[in-house]
Amino acid sequence: MTPLIAIRGLRKTYLMGDENIHALAGVDLDFQAGEFVAILGPSGSGKSTLMHILGFMDTPSEGSIVFDGREVAVLAPDLRAWYRSNRVGFVFQSFNLLPRLTVEENVALPLLYREGSVPAANLIAARAALERVGMSHRLDHLPSQLSGGERQRVAIARAIVGSPSIIFADEPTGNLDVKNIDRILDLLGSLIKEGITVVLVTHDLSVAEKAHRVISMRAGLVHEDRSR
Amino acid sequence: MKLYTRLRPAVVNGLRELQANKVRSLLSMSGIILGVASLVAMVTVVQGMVGNFRQFVDALGGIEKITVTREQLPKEQEHLAELSEGITLRDVERLRRTVPLVENISPEARVGYERLVVEGRETSTYVTGVSADYLPVAKRWVDPGFGRFISDLDGLNMNDVIVLGSAVVPELFSPNQDPIGQVVKLRGRRFTVIGVLNNIEGTGMQIRSANSRSSGNSWRWRNSGAFIPVLTAQVKFLGNDRLSGLGLRIRNPLQLQDAVEQTERTLLTAHKGLRDFAISTNEQVLEDFRKTEVAFKLSLGGVAGISLFVGGIGIMNVMLASINERIREIGVRKAVGARGSDLFLQFLAEAAVISVVGGIIGLVVSMGIVALMNYILMQALPTGAVATLDWAIMAQGLGFSVVVGLVAGVYPALRAASLDPIEALRHE
Repeated sequence: MTPLIAIRGLRKTYLMGDENIHALAGVDLDFQAGEFVAILGPSGSGKSTLMHILGFMDTPSEGSIVFDGREVAVLAPDLRAWYRSNRVGFVFQSFNLLPRLTVEENVALPLLYREGSVPAANLIAARAALERVGMSHRLDHLPSQLSGGERQRVAIARAIVGSPSIIFADEPTGNLDVKNIDRILDLLGSLIKEGITVVLVTHDLSVAEKAHRVISMRAGLVHEDRSR
Repeated sequence: MKLYTRLRPAVVNGLRELQANKVRSLLSMSGIILGVASLVAMVTVVQGMVGNFRQFVDALGGIEKITVTREQLPKEQEHLAELSEGITLRDVERLRRTVPLVENISPEARVGYERLVVEGRETSTYVTGVSADYLPVAKRWVDPGFGRFISDLDGLNMNDVIVLGSAVVPELFSPNQDPIGQVVKLRGRRFTVIGVLNNIEGTGMQIRSANSRSSGNSWRWRNSGAFIPVLTAQVKFLGNDRLSGLGLRIRNPLQLQDAVEQTERTLLTAHKGLRDFAISTNEQVLEDFRKTEVAFKLSLGGVAGISLFVGGIGIMNVMLASINERIREIGVRKAVGARGSDLFLQFLAEAAVISVVGGIIGLVVSMGIVALMNYILMQALPTGAVATLDWAIMAQGLGFSVVVGLVAGVYPALRAASLDPIEALRHE
């Protein structure tokens, strides 16, 4: 089976002062469509850098990334924006909902930046996504009127509204209580049934254990890659 | 179309930010408000004053009028006073022959501030001896049904006829009485009323009713007065052949300067070199006024310009502050697919929204300023300068504010567009 993403020899080097920091020191990985993967590692291990590069927010210093059959390691900024809007979804630890927008508008936001975006159609899609995460009763609320768990469900709705191929969840449970942690992880896990690849980035082993495949990173390299 | 679909949410967003930060937005707008208000008010008031002044000059006979008045001899010629004949009807003949640029010459012999008596009623007004040429020179006329003006024949025959100013008529006659043909006594002499001069009302900008009280003040002096044939005045009242002055109307206003020089030369020759006359034109009055206008425009324009500049800085400042507060929002928008150009548009639209709203408030303020200026000018100027807000000027004012807003918004918008999404998302 052709992987959704195939990365080979991926390196990212920062210059910090006079010193070169190797955030990624040659990573080879494949991600299949519909996989539930956790990337585990302490801070500084390179897991965030990897997520940023795979999420089209950053470019590698070296190496190749084949996404859906296309080489995408080095793309122009606008093309990376296109991938972020059409192929990728993000879920953040601190939810990152825009405080002045309603729940519905927050979820519709990724569609706003698409070619030929139609506001009415965007809202319909947003409602469907909110339905999917069980938040359709809060369409007109502001994020500040929601609990943490509810906010994260809205954030997940925002990540899936554009039917992405892959979702990156960066410590999605870091700000949640125990009850909500399971709920959010179950919700994320359920997305793979729709063929979405879910990549969970965490330093918490108990969270990572929920995934079907755990990739441990250390010092910019894949330390361990095991499937259950 | 595509730009519209990108702009619409940006503008909506801008309005929402404005609403969310009302006080801050209002403060940042204050420069724009002041700038637009002073710009629009300044242009309007200056235009109103210029327009009114043109009419004022027109009421004085327009710029094609040359006025010759009797003057004291200058010091170096004082000993020749005996030789001075003053301005006479002979000068009128000479000018007719030698200054072809002049179309009409109106001799004027002021009789004085006289009592006019009709049985039971009387009033006092200035009585002047004039000829038929008074009408074209003064740009006056006699309306149909109001009789006729003094003719050349009246002059030759020294007829005892009189033409009244429209403001004099109600003083002497009851409203249902036709003044034409009535007899008016002037220093005991019986004059037959042959006509009533046209009534000058208001200005083009604001027509004032002839009945309203305000019409009395500004235009009364033009509507009062009484006119008799010039020879009648000289022979029967003044007892000499001197005129108080001449009014000359030239064919072409562009030849004003030549006409003035020719007139001066002719009169100087005829008066044996004695400078017992003075020549003035409304052009000089108009010229003085133009200088005032330029000074007004420069000073008020400077105020408006500085205000708009400060307004632009205010907008830039508030936009930079707003972007600093919303770095995370910018990161989120980029993460979900916004391009640099999307954010550029968003923040530029926000700056434009601030400036447009500020501009609109400025226009409202300018209406108040213009109303106030009108009130003040009405008291101060003889014609009562009346300025009206013009849509074109208001549109220009608003246009200025939009340009300022856009220029001021470019730098903050570029900053927002160039932020790195990862750094922006990390921002606390």
